[in-house]
Formats: sequence, C-alpha cells, structure tokens
Amino acid sequence: MAKSWFIKVQENNPQQTLRNLYAQWLKNEQVSALLVPAVSATGVFAPVLFSDPEKVSNISPLLPVMSVNAASIVAEIAAEPATESRLGVVLRPCEMRAVVELIKLQQIARDNLVLIGIDCPGTYKPGSISPELTASSDKLDEWINEFVSNQEQYLKDEHLRSACRLCEFPTPLIADMTIGFLGLNPRKKLILTVYTENGSRLLDGLEIEPTEDTNPERNKYLDMFVRTRQQQCEQKIADFDRVGIGYQNLVRYFAHCLNCHNCMKVCPICYCRECFFDSDVLKREQDDYVRLSRRKGLNRMPAGTLLFHLTRMNHMMTSCVQCGICEDSCPAEIGLSVLFKKVSRNAQAAFDYLSGRSLDEPLPLTTFREDEFREIGEE
Amino acid sequence: MNFEPRIVGFLCNWCTYAGADLAGTSRIQYPPNMRPIRVMCSGAVDSVYILRALLEGADGILIGGCHPGDCHYVSGNYKTRRRMVLFSSIMRSLGLDEGRVLLRWISAAEGKKFADTVTEFTEQLRQKGPNPFRNLWEV
Repeated sequence: MAKSWFIKVQENNPQQTLRNLYAQWLKNEQVSALLVPAVSATGVFAPVLFSDPEKVSNISPLLPVMSVNAASIVAEIAAEPATESRLGVVLRPCEMRAVVELIKLQQIARDNLVLIGIDCPGTYKPGSISPELTASSDKLDEWINEFVSNQEQYLKDEHLRSACRLCEFPTPLIADMTIGFLGLNPRKKLILTVYTENGSRLLDGLEIEPTEDTNPERNKYLDMFVRTRQQQCEQKIADFDRVGIGYQNLVRYFAHCLNCHNCMKVCPICYCRECFFDSDVLKREQDDYVRLSRRKGLNRMPAGTLLFHLTRMNHMMTSCVQCGICEDSCPAEIGLSVLFKKVSRNAQAAFDYLSGRSLDEPLPLTTFREDEFREIGEE
Repeated sequence: MNFEPRIVGFLCNWCTYAGADLAGTSRIQYPPNMRPIRVMCSGAVDSVYILRALLEGADGILIGGCHPGDCHYVSGNYKTRRRMVLFSSIMRSLGLDEGRVLLRWISAAEGKKFADTVTEFTEQLRQKGPNPFRNLWEV
C-alpha cells in the first residue's frame, strides 16, 4: 500500500526543510520525541533524542556521518512497550535493518515506535570531518546540502566508510515512512513514501503534492547505483579472498586483534546481556593454562582471539546487517566490513534469508522445516 | 611415526551415545581415535565447542544425534541441522576445511552404523593428515 508524496524544499535547503518537518511533527504531537542525527560546534556527532521544536537548529537530518548504529540506541530506549510516549526514529537503511532484526529477537518493542527510514548513499567516520566545518552551522549545512545534491560522486568517493562502499541498500527495506532524496534534485524536492497507517498519520497537516510511488527518474538512478555498488562489492570480496581466506591467511587477517571485544560491544546484533565470552565457561586456572600450553608446546596469550571471532560469526551472522560499525571500533583496524559482508551474505543466502528485509520472516536459527536440508547428517 | 587422528565426539545421550554403547556391548571393533563427550542433545552443541576443539588441534569432530523426527526433545536435531548449514557456510566462506566436522544421525539401535561411522571418519582424517591448527600456537 505504498503511497508517495513530494515535499517542496524551501530556499534550496533540504536540511532546513526536514528540520521544519520534524519540528512540525513535534508541535502537532504526532510524535513525542524523535531520534535524529545532530552535530555540535564542539565536534560531537551523535544521534539525539529531540523533543523541543525550539531547539531544531541543532539537529542535522541529512548528516552523512555514522558514529554508532542507532539501532543499539533504539534497543536501549524501547526495550519495553511505552505507555505514554510515541517515539519517531529516523534511521539509515542498515540501522533500520538492525531494528527489524532486534524486534524479531524481542529486544525492541515495536508498539510505540514510528519507524522513519531515510535514504543513505554512504557515510563518513566522525573523525574524518574537519573541525572547521562543525564550527560553523551555515558551512556545515551547505556542505551537507551539497553532499545530498551532488549524487555523481558517491560511487567514486574513497573516503566513505568501507562498509558503506560495499553497501547495496541505499533505501530502507521497510519502514512506516521513508524520506528519499536519491535520484531527485533535493534542492527542489524530497519524496515521502508511507507504507503503514502509522506512517500516514505523519502526513496530517503537511503541504504535500501526491506523486506516483514509482518515480521513474529516481528508480533509474537507484538501479544504476545498486548495480554499480554490487560490482564494486564483488571486486572487494575478490580482493579479500586473495588475502583473507584459508588457515594461514585468516590467522594473518586477525593477527593484530587485541581481544578487546569492541566489535561485539558496538554491534547492534550482539544483544546478549552477558556475552558467552565474558562468562566463566571459558575461564581457566593456572593448571588448565599449563595443560593448554602443553597441547601445542606454546600458546598465544590472551588465548582464544580467533575462537572469539569465529564463534561470534556463528552466533550473529544470520542477522548481521553489514553496517561495519565493528570495523570502526577496532583499535587494530582489522578489515571486518568486507569479511562480514562476504560471510553474512553467504550465511543468509543458505537460508534464503536477508536480515532486516521483513518482520514476518522468522530468524533462521529459531525455525526449521522437517523437509529441508535432508542431505545434512546423511551419508 | 604414523599419524593417528584425534576425534572429539559430541554424542547425544538418547541415541548416538546409546548406539556407541551398543557397539561396545555387541563387541564390534572400531578404531580408538574418538574421545566421546555425552551431551543431552545434539542441539546443545554450540559452535563454540566445535571451534574450540578445532582451534586447539582436534583433527576431527563427530556430532551424533537422533534421526530427524526422533529427537527426545522433539525438535533439537532439526535445529542442529540448521546450525550445521550455518557452520559449514561460514567455514566455506573463510576457506576452512568443513570436512573435519561430521554430523551423523545414529540411533540407539545402530551400533554397527556407529562403529562404521567412526571407522570411515578416522580413515578420511588419516588421508587428510593433521589439522593445520594443531601447530598454529598463534590463534
């Protein structure tokens, strides 16, 4: 039941247009608060929980910077259904996919959330943005408006986060409402698409112009974008295969791992309250360590770095959304994005599953059919 | 010195472990290369236990469960089966040898099948040679 509308952009300023839209939703009490990106003059890039329309100038709706996967924040805020408030969460496609997985993992209560998806052609790391830009809100706005308008450069931009350069999902897979700018001239107009009753309530009181939900110009651009990204992704996976696979290569790939577990801590999908690797199950005492050492004669300490990564893959690969925030958090700069892209894509394909595609598809490891995979376990 | 593989066996209490017992009480001969670990269900064998054995140098892992439809806990082995699909996919994606991990459905009545499985798996692993992780102290 998707339906689309154009929203006119005032003064060639899409950032400001979305600020006005969000402020209006708050003023009309269509949502009680919004989770949206913001930048401070001191250089903080973060999702903010925004509730006072007077403060709207602080938010940065089209900011192409990713500091965390906001799905982790949604899981922290909305673990239980709210009784009074309605929270609108504005999320990039990978963040929305993670929210969908977390809803299915029963870590997010869907009830009082409005899921608002927004186009994303790629993001930068916070550290790569010059302090001069963040010091002036006008300069920053102009930079962001230029970023969303100059759509030729995304596929060539080597400064985008490495996960983003592998990403073939520039538009959200599901949402109550989506906000689109790709394939349009965002200095003139943006496209709002609603998919649910929840989403259509956000249209009340807006000055909008109905349009076809399949916009040919936009679709043409998106087709080209996705095809090119897929080719680039295949190339990067082929490059990875030359250095990352096989016993020796894999050990080399993870050689500098510090065993800090940051990748697990920032991962939106790693939701366990206590990780198996933080539990006592694998704890050893001195005598056990000596026994371990005798097995090979010598043993790397801390023990079990590769065990951690391989187990983590087995535990979360079917839900991995390839957001790459694990790589950003890695002090040893291990190239996790391309590795996880390859491994998770193959793992999900084995179950004909795609993380974040649908709320109705059951998680691969929580379901089964009697008449599937009959060759497994047989001679 | 001839290479003799070491196999870690995770055997389901209700089927394969009883099958192993039957092989013993029936005095069926099979190679002594497997160290059995009794588990309540093949579905309880998390990938971490398989990986830990592999990374610490086990040459093979045998997981034995009840035949599909016969699980003592109704659906544990169907979940094992899905988990094996995932495990194998990850091993393949990373260029690691999935052939060192074997899942077999062996019932309490199949003492002969149990002995044959261990015999064949041991022979396959003799052909493969030692697990490369056996000498990688840096993992």
